[in-house]
Amino acid sequence: LNSTDEVGAGQSIQKTYDLTRYLEHQLRTLAGTYLNYLGPPFNEPDFNPPRMTRAEMVPSATVDFELWRSLNDNSRLAANYRAYTHLLCFLRGMDGQVAKAELRKNLGHFCTSLQGLVVSIASVMSSLGYPLPGPLGGADPTWARGPGTTSPHNDFLKKMDDFWLLKELQTWLWRSAKDFNRLKKKVPPAAITLRLEA
Amino acid sequence: QRHSQLDTHIQYERLGADVTMRCGAMDWDAAVTWTANGTDIDESHLNGSHLVLRNVNLTHSGQYACYEGSSWHLKYQTYLKVGTSPKEPVLMCRSNNYPKGFYCSWHLPTPTYIPNAFNITVMHGPRELICEKDAFPKNRCHIRYLQLFSTVKYKVTLTVTNALGRNSTTITFEEFAIVKPDPPENVVAKAVANNPRRLEVKWQNPSSWPDPESFPLKFFLRYRPLILDQWQHVELSDGTSHTITDAYAGKEYIIQVAAKDNDIGTWSDWSVAVHATPWTEEPKHLTTEAQVAETTTAGTSSFVPPPTTKICDPEAVVGS
Amino acid sequence: GLVQSCGYIIPESPVLTLGSSFTALCILNESCLDFGNIHANQIIWKIKNSVVPKEQYHVINRTVSRVTFSDTSTLATPLTCNILADGQIEQNIYGIAVTLGLPPEKPENLTCIVHQKSKREYIMTCTWNPGRHTFLPIDFHLKSEWALGALPDCKPQGVNNSCSTDDVQFFVNLEVWVEAKNALGMAESEHIDFDPVDIVKPLPPHKLLVSSAEQPAFLKLSWENQIREVEMELKFNIRYRISDSSDWMEIPPEDTASPRTSFTVQSLKPYTEYVFSLRCMKKDGKGYWSDWSEEKSGVTSEA
Repeated sequence: LNSTDEVGAGQSIQKTYDLTRYLEHQLRTLAGTYLNYLGPPFNEPDFNPPRMTRAEMVPSATVDFELWRSLNDNSRLAANYRAYTHLLCFLRGMDGQVAKAELRKNLGHFCTSLQGLVVSIASVMSSLGYPLPGPLGGADPTWARGPGTTSPHNDFLKKMDDFWLLKELQTWLWRSAKDFNRLKKKVPPAAITLRLEA
Repeated sequence: QRHSQLDTHIQYERLGADVTMRCGAMDWDAAVTWTANGTDIDESHLNGSHLVLRNVNLTHSGQYACYEGSSWHLKYQTYLKVGTSPKEPVLMCRSNNYPKGFYCSWHLPTPTYIPNAFNITVMHGPRELICEKDAFPKNRCHIRYLQLFSTVKYKVTLTVTNALGRNSTTITFEEFAIVKPDPPENVVAKAVANNPRRLEVKWQNPSSWPDPESFPLKFFLRYRPLILDQWQHVELSDGTSHTITDAYAGKEYIIQVAAKDNDIGTWSDWSVAVHATPWTEEPKHLTTEAQVAETTTAGTSSFVPPPTTKICDPEAVVGS
Repeated sequence: GLVQSCGYIIPESPVLTLGSSFTALCILNESCLDFGNIHANQIIWKIKNSVVPKEQYHVINRTVSRVTFSDTSTLATPLTCNILADGQIEQNIYGIAVTLGLPPEKPENLTCIVHQKSKREYIMTCTWNPGRHTFLPIDFHLKSEWALGALPDCKPQGVNNSCSTDDVQFFVNLEVWVEAKNALGMAESEHIDFDPVDIVKPLPPHKLLVSSAEQPAFLKLSWENQIREVEMELKFNIRYRISDSSDWMEIPPEDTASPRTSFTVQSLKPYTEYVFSLRCMKKDGKGYWSDWSEEKSGVTSEA
């Protein structure tokens, strides 16, 4: 990696970090609106439903503490890339089911933003010289309920899936913010530029 | 001469209860003498050889002994402790060193006056986590995060037991909701030479925050001249310094800083307050000897910092 | 009789570039030749009703006559192929419509701006210079793409020099260009690359309050920013004037160059009414200043 690539990487990491925080803020509002749309008990603060097997297919942000700290940059980015690629599919599956036009539009806009995050992560990986990872083995998101894919027969179960999808996505955005902070530490845009000028 | 060979056992009784003590195996009509903390008890409290204490209160706590009338043999001895059963304890968990772990601390809303035993269990989904008791303060223990970024809630149950009863409380929370850093440290505020409206404020991340680079903090600064009540606020998302540019010329300011993880959790408490006065054109004209002692070099206020405050910069006042 | 589909012209209804050359062929059907002694040399080309000079004709063979125009500017609609048959009665064989125009020019000066419409609503408007009039129906498309893929085109509504979209995505670099297409070709503007967050014109601060706090020479301003910190940090310009004066004074920009929601203005005259207004923009100077906020006045207290 020559210094120009590092400057590119540094800036795109910073931008990806900014995007992650921005999405996290957007999702807070969107998730609140969506859970209100689902209605009680989903919009109650203490609602803590069991996680059905379907919701297990959503890539979980949970990670062993030491493992997370010791991840190398490539693995760290690849985990993010895979997660959002899948979360995006699941989210698009949700997007098609919403009756309220305003909410559907907001969900659509958020999906585009999330795709922007996938694009950003991909450009960070390419600027650091890492290959883009293929999809996860088992967890092919066929479960994702896009138009025409099979929905859980029970409306309550579908709502539970949506609940956990939003929860996991929120958590992933928090994790990613910390991931990119760690990456920034290694390729800080400013420091690199200073070194160039020195 | 009184002979006392019996072991003392402790008897707990509820505040406001009526207590009757039997003189060991002595008959009801046997002649006996009761003492409280070595002082004979008036016979009005006796019912035969039984000692009757009505609507006991804390002052009734103490050593009670019963001697056989003629031989002064000690027939019964107890240590009475008057108290209450525990009310529902107040439990609070907080992560001030995220992502290392979190601590839980508890207290009873009202004292029980008798010894209590606390037992805490921390569950993360199906998994129980160890809560390592802190030497000090006693009513606190801490848990190390084994996993991060979990959507599974933590469930902490605290049970308090004493001789008169037991109670418990359970709280559930998400990993991110309890993140609350300690206040920023070493806050330093000082004037900026030749600029009557500026104050430069610097501070440090709380030392308890383990990894500020991966988990950066953002800050909230509030400042006001002492002559006013209303604070001005400014939120700062990076860096640990700020220059106030609209300080009221010549007025002493009080400044505090709070911290929060950039993405999750809640704001810390306010830091220790520091004081500073913007640079002024000409030194203050002093008329008396006493005021000489009060001379403020540029920025150091006449306010004598509390003993706990470290002064590490003659021009500035530090709050740690 | 003769007139019935006795021939045709190629090309059919061409669109031609003004000022270019043009050649058309009139081809007689074999079936027509049997009706009397017909030959391509009897063909007369006409523009509207005026005869095209014979010098521009060339008979290729018994059935094909060619006409050439060195400059299409002289052409008009219709261009007809006619034959002067026996008995000197001119018969129309075929006619075509001729459309003249110009290929699109390269759109120039493409610039974009993101207007904040409300706390969460943004509209990105890109404008460009469409170039000369082409006299032809022309389509402009604002094209955009991210690193890994194209985004939906923005189709101008009723104009040909600007397009707006409300699907604004911050913090992802966007490549934008304009494509102009008409029957005579396509032209593409320069590509510009930017992050929409760097071209925002925010809404001005609002809910401006002015309070005196019983201090003679100063007034304290407080307000609410309409753009969130997660989108951008702001810097400000604050201006003020004595209410009956039109001369604005401004707080030194370096004093308002960091995020804030209040400012104490000092060195004011006691017991005087002042009018305040402020504006904001992205702290790093990228983007546009907001409009000035609504004005708010306050009176300093007596000395």
